Amino acid sequence: MSQDPVNPIDDVALDWALRMADPARADWDGFTDWLEANPVHAAAYDRMTAALLDAEDSLRAHPDVIAPEPVIVEAEPPRRRPLRWIGGAVAAALVGAVGVGLWSERPQPYVIETAAGEVRRVPLADGSAIMLAGGSRITLDHADPRRAVMERGEALFQVRHDDRHPFSVDARGLALTDLGTVFDVRLGRRMTRVAVAEGAVMVNPRGAALRLDAGQAVLAEGNRLVRQTVAAEAVGGWRDGRLAYDGAALSDVAEDLARFLGRPVAVRPSVAGQAFRGTIDLNAVRRDPRLLGALLNVAVREDGQGWMLEPRG
Amino acid sequence: MTPTGIEAVFLANRDKLVRFLAARGAGDAAEDLVQDLWVKMAGRMDGPIANPLAYLYRAADMLMIDRYRSRRQAERRDQDWAEDQHLQEAGPEPPAERALVARQTAERVAATLTALGERPATVFRRARIEGIPQRQIAAELGVSISTVESDLRMAAHALAALKDQIG
Repeated sequence: MSQDPVNPIDDVALDWALRMADPARADWDGFTDWLEANPVHAAAYDRMTAALLDAEDSLRAHPDVIAPEPVIVEAEPPRRRPLRWIGGAVAAALVGAVGVGLWSERPQPYVIETAAGEVRRVPLADGSAIMLAGGSRITLDHADPRRAVMERGEALFQVRHDDRHPFSVDARGLALTDLGTVFDVRLGRRMTRVAVAEGAVMVNPRGAALRLDAGQAVLAEGNRLVRQTVAAEAVGGWRDGRLAYDGAALSDVAEDLARFLGRPVAVRPSVAGQAFRGTIDLNAVRRDPRLLGALLNVAVREDGQGWMLEPRG
Repeated sequence: MTPTGIEAVFLANRDKLVRFLAARGAGDAAEDLVQDLWVKMAGRMDGPIANPLAYLYRAADMLMIDRYRSRRQAERRDQDWAEDQHLQEAGPEPPAERALVARQTAERVAATLTALGERPATVFRRARIEGIPQRQIAAELGVSISTVESDLRMAAHALAALKDQIG
């Protein structure tokens, strides 16, 4: 880095600035010695540290300027599998295929919306079908049956695969492309979840290009993608009135219950983060809401039209 | 009551922290600053801290950085004020203009990082904006820790050079 305009003391100061911000590398005795060796060191360190912090604050205040790629985090710590990146060429080919002007007609968007508690099957012109869960909304296009924009709620996509025209779904900014598929997309308040029952889905083909195979899911929260393993047969189980969870927060479970049962379900903050593992039989719960209490380990209180989940007294 | 936990660590290392603050640019004020620091920290201690001494050092370091940055900001304000006096009519920069300048600065910072390539830009963002440990970043990107370190250094250099340019 000989052409670097930073002078030698600044250069060392910059290294210390990086090092002392990293708990794994910080050496406070060594740093003190360096500071004491020459009184100008402290000023150089201030300048360099401030230069970094200014740049970082600036980026934080304008997060869109770096438009970060989603970060993929493996969710199962015990066995770390290598990330399944797909080669750039394949991803590029997919993007190309999506972008081809095959559906050259003008877009003719239409919206399908379900009430809470309702489930509707939406057949598409290409033989694919979308099962829309309660309280959901999706925009489709008569001119291009291979495109859908999820706006709210949850949907199970049963896609007739066509290599030349992949089916694409926009799930609140998360781009999904099918690779021959049955997959479920759920837009929660906090996060988006994509789970694959059959075939495979490419998440964000333009960016991270994360491939999900059957039995895999990804949770997207902000820019973070967390990969999960799911029971493939449980994906879209809500069609048969079954909701399966593996460690979901009660607040997320309540959100689903409200959507599927068509009544408000609220959670006390003290139990909202409680994790739930198991399957909820919606029909049984409809008949007897008290079942929920035993299942979720909470007290269920009737609260006007809906239910309140509370800590057990 | 005998002091426990971080308080015990603070008392045992008080002299080292004073020495550090003095070297860090506080000079004679180091004694007072160390006391200020402890008063501030004792009020917002929640949960156990893995390495209390490193935590205290870092807090002392950040205190000096904050002082430097606010001093510099005050100097800049004075300078702006002097310029405004000079230009009579000109009031303070309107908020819309300030926002625009801030945005342009952010864009230059981002451009500086992306010019280094995708990996150094990602490393910098993950490490310095999102606070992810370098070991984890190395694992995510499938590179060694020393590669992460050198990417980080390269990005820091580029940003320091940019800072020289734009002030």
